[in-house]
Amino acid sequence: MISKSINLTLKVWRQSRGEKKGHLETYYAKDISVDMSFLEMIDVVNEDLTKIHKEPIAFDHDCREGICGMCGAVVNGRAHGHEKETTLCQLHMRHFSDGATIVIEPWRSRAFPLIKDLVVDRSALDKIIQAGGFISVNAGGAPDANALPIPREVAETAFNAAACIGCGACVAACPNASAMLFVSAKISQLALLPQGRPEGAKRVQAMVRQMDECGFGNCSNETECEVECPKGISILNIARLNREFLKAEFS
Amino acid sequence: MNWFIEIFRTSIGKKIVMAITGLGFSLFLLIHLIGNLTLYGGKELFMSYVEHLHALGPLIHVAEVGLLTFAIIHVVSGLILFWQNLQARPIRYKINKRAGGRTLGSATMPYTGVLILIFVVIHLLNFHFIDHSLQTAFQVISATFSVLPYVVFYTIAVIIVAIHVSHGFWSLFQTLGANHANYMPAIKGFGIIFSLLVAAGFGFIPVYVNFIM
Amino acid sequence: MKPDTKLDSKTPDGPLVDKWDRHRFNLKLVNPANKKKFEIIVVGTGLAGASAAATLAELGYHVKNFCIQDSPRRAHSIAAQGGINAAKNYANDGDSAWRLFYDTIKGGDFRAREANVYRLAQLSCNIIDHCVAQGIPFARDYGGFLDNRSFGGAQVSRTFYAKGQTGQQLLLGAYSALMRQVSTGMVKLFPRREMMDLVIVDGKARGIVVRNLITGEIETYDAHAVVLATGGYGNVFNLSTNAMASNVTASFRAYKRGAYFANPCFTQIHPTCIPVHGTFQSKLTLMSESLRNDGRVWVPKKPGDKRLPADIPESERDYYLENKYPSFGNLVPRDVASRNAKEQCDMGKGVGETGLAVYLDFADAIKRNGKSVIAGKYGNLFEMYEKISGDNPYKTPMMIYPAVHYTMGGLWVDYNLMSTIQGLFVLGEANFSDHGANRLGASALMQGLADGYFVIPYTIGGYLAQTSFSKVNVQDSMEFKQGIDDVQKRIEKLLSINGKRTVSEFHRELGLILWDYCGMSRNEEGLLKALSMVKKLRHEFWENVYVPGTGNDLNQSLENAGRVADFLEFGELMINDALARKESCGCHFNTAFQTEENEAKRDDENFCHVAAWEYTGDDQMPTFHKESLSFENVELSQRSYK
Repeated sequence: MISKSINLTLKVWRQSRGEKKGHLETYYAKDISVDMSFLEMIDVVNEDLTKIHKEPIAFDHDCREGICGMCGAVVNGRAHGHEKETTLCQLHMRHFSDGATIVIEPWRSRAFPLIKDLVVDRSALDKIIQAGGFISVNAGGAPDANALPIPREVAETAFNAAACIGCGACVAACPNASAMLFVSAKISQLALLPQGRPEGAKRVQAMVRQMDECGFGNCSNETECEVECPKGISILNIARLNREFLKAEFS
Repeated sequence: MNWFIEIFRTSIGKKIVMAITGLGFSLFLLIHLIGNLTLYGGKELFMSYVEHLHALGPLIHVAEVGLLTFAIIHVVSGLILFWQNLQARPIRYKINKRAGGRTLGSATMPYTGVLILIFVVIHLLNFHFIDHSLQTAFQVISATFSVLPYVVFYTIAVIIVAIHVSHGFWSLFQTLGANHANYMPAIKGFGIIFSLLVAAGFGFIPVYVNFIM
Repeated sequence: MKPDTKLDSKTPDGPLVDKWDRHRFNLKLVNPANKKKFEIIVVGTGLAGASAAATLAELGYHVKNFCIQDSPRRAHSIAAQGGINAAKNYANDGDSAWRLFYDTIKGGDFRAREANVYRLAQLSCNIIDHCVAQGIPFARDYGGFLDNRSFGGAQVSRTFYAKGQTGQQLLLGAYSALMRQVSTGMVKLFPRREMMDLVIVDGKARGIVVRNLITGEIETYDAHAVVLATGGYGNVFNLSTNAMASNVTASFRAYKRGAYFANPCFTQIHPTCIPVHGTFQSKLTLMSESLRNDGRVWVPKKPGDKRLPADIPESERDYYLENKYPSFGNLVPRDVASRNAKEQCDMGKGVGETGLAVYLDFADAIKRNGKSVIAGKYGNLFEMYEKISGDNPYKTPMMIYPAVHYTMGGLWVDYNLMSTIQGLFVLGEANFSDHGANRLGASALMQGLADGYFVIPYTIGGYLAQTSFSKVNVQDSMEFKQGIDDVQKRIEKLLSINGKRTVSEFHRELGLILWDYCGMSRNEEGLLKALSMVKKLRHEFWENVYVPGTGNDLNQSLENAGRVADFLEFGELMINDALARKESCGCHFNTAFQTEENEAKRDDENFCHVAAWEYTGDDQMPTFHKESLSFENVELSQRSYK
């Protein structure tokens, strides 16, 4: 591993509160080790800002291993940056060249109101799950786990949909700020598994209507979401969601 | 009707409406294209096609009313979707970059749509809303396409239609849920071939009429 | 020493296998119609918190559920990779609740309570049933039945998994159950709230003080009981595999209000993590231990050898695990592998830029089995490694180093999971109960869910049914006002110090002290040194820290400052606990107590107990309390891996 450092110019969206006006502010990130993650690079900038008694950039992050879905920003016009199937915390600085300018903006969607700087409110995604993203089973009453065999391929397809981390990159990347990929992932997981079938129709109707109510845009099959999804969730799930919706409405 | 409105109010409902009407237009385009290809066979073949078409009588009017209804629905839903999508992101990004999913067709759907609407109106004024007792369909075509600006206009318009179809065709299958890992490439490929056929088949007619016939 | 009256474990009588059944029968029930009159606060939405909140709501209690992140789905349980154990015996290979119990007790080096561990083993099967019913896509075999693998050196295949994302899938299952209860109105969700204090009225936990992380407002909430499921304190080391927001504050505040803290020095260090790359490293990433099944661990024989691994000939490599432990080789337990890696690096034989790494080499395995077989087993891990380090493990050996991963210590709880404060229950990693001095792989998920789905719903009922409650409310009760006042003063203090050093500098320094002196191996001299260093650092913190911004909006530096302030105090508690335990056991390896084979040497005569610490005031030595452990069903043995 030959380590080296790079210098970068950052243009970061700063906005003290949702209702205030925001702007891009320029910072210089010096001597950034290419082994750092993108968020560690921001840590360094923040540490420098703190030392000169300026307020650090607020950004959401937690697990820093690409699974919690907390982090995310649009980097040079790309959700989570330009690397494929990578969250911002797993994007490493070796993918940037020395002297580059990086523009960092928050997720933009009416359904994700801005809180501060790069932090947005994604509770709309929770609301969609509350509308039906579950199987109604109380603790205690379940039959033996092996009582219901499920074909391996079905379980795997369901797993691939269930891998969604709810980061909101699909919404951020969609030209229409649509949340269809997120919704379709949960619908698909539960529609594929036999345990989820009894509530299938009710679930898809409720979740789609809740999604609309939250103010997301409409899907126009641009497939940007699929390309930007850090977990590689396929748009075939959206087709399945459409199918489930059609079935539910026309039966 | 309540039932229809209830579905139409949802985002997917509107998309389904777009898809079904879009499917209708695709079929119409196909039939229209097959009919027009008779032009390449010369005047007699084309006129016999026109005669057969007119022999359908009232069915023609039913089709016309159907197409008009579809058009109104497609345009109105499309405009609502476009408006809603604009509203869904009140503050735009300073830097916009494609990740690789968007295509020329998908990114321009609303705009090509509006252009097609304008084109269709002009097209109907040129060929449909005229006194057919004074001249035959063939004469109208020859007369129109002898004017060079019309040739250019129609050729461009048909390319725009093709761009619209290049996304619209596979998109409608996706929206109707008729998509699957195994045949998605086929649907996408067929959509592209279909749009190329539309572009070539229709697009060459004005040129052919003007320069070759 | 007299037996401690406050440390009554309330372990039920009778044979081990019947204890839980009997206990459930003896617990008083809350009349179904009365359940809705009770309010319960659950802090945390990880496996333990989310499952508890959902299940209590299913039973009819009103639940207020708090989490620090923007959504309950982000809790750090989500990052668990390997799997979850259950004594289903689907593999027909001789597993049973009894065997899982035994493995867990032995793995914990006989420092856990028998009754709790047996209950955990019993409940493990119910967890899998429930999770499958929730729609969790576990791995399956071609017949469509659940697949099991052997994990962490277990001799039976009892680990259920969903690729390398078992924690994520289990958490999303608990999260969806929670969301369902939010939609019915039984759970009220409070995201982006950090618990700052516990409110005690008439000796009972009756509420909490939280900071709204968006508005900065200090809010209070009351209830009839408080459930803490706030995870572990691994971040006291600054660098760990924990998420950035994981902290000890909630537990520590409860400790300061009278809850005893048990075994704080028991921290598990995981051997196969991606090494540190530099000062600004923010966290460490764990890679599954399964890598050691095929990878060979080595370092150059010559200290300071900076050649590329490919340039070091076979004869100049030291496969130290294989040489030292010929029968187990690279598969020695976590703590042994970790200690040895550190030992090699301390001798100057570490590799990589920082010299804090050892090689994990797959060249032989690839030669033997072919690249495709290795890719099939570890493909996603290799990809993850390459993403982070930029090196391709198919071509050049991986570099690994141990990292703090899990904390077995936590707030002391009895068999009902109630702490020494009446009405304060503690679940999951936040309590100390089930893993003794060392946790087995794939057992953390099991414990979190057992506590939340199947233990607390019963035991909290027993408490509520037999306790009389005075009326409290957040507006009028003095205790709540006092709570807000204390928290506000502390925040004002942090913001007004206006010193020269940043919070992260203090955190880094604290982490290094603990890693060096209270990490994988400890000794009295080092611990004493660390104690005075941490004390000094804490004093400096309160005089020289700089926290930017204000208290009345989103201020992540302030959040961090509060957490690091508690870590600084907690660090001392950890060291004191390590000092007091004059033996080695499990993860606690005191170099003065080792066998000839360099194994942890227990002193069962004097230290077969849980050390529970009672807060007695700032800058005061906490009071030591002892819960003696008795083993009626297993024989205490000394492990050996040579």
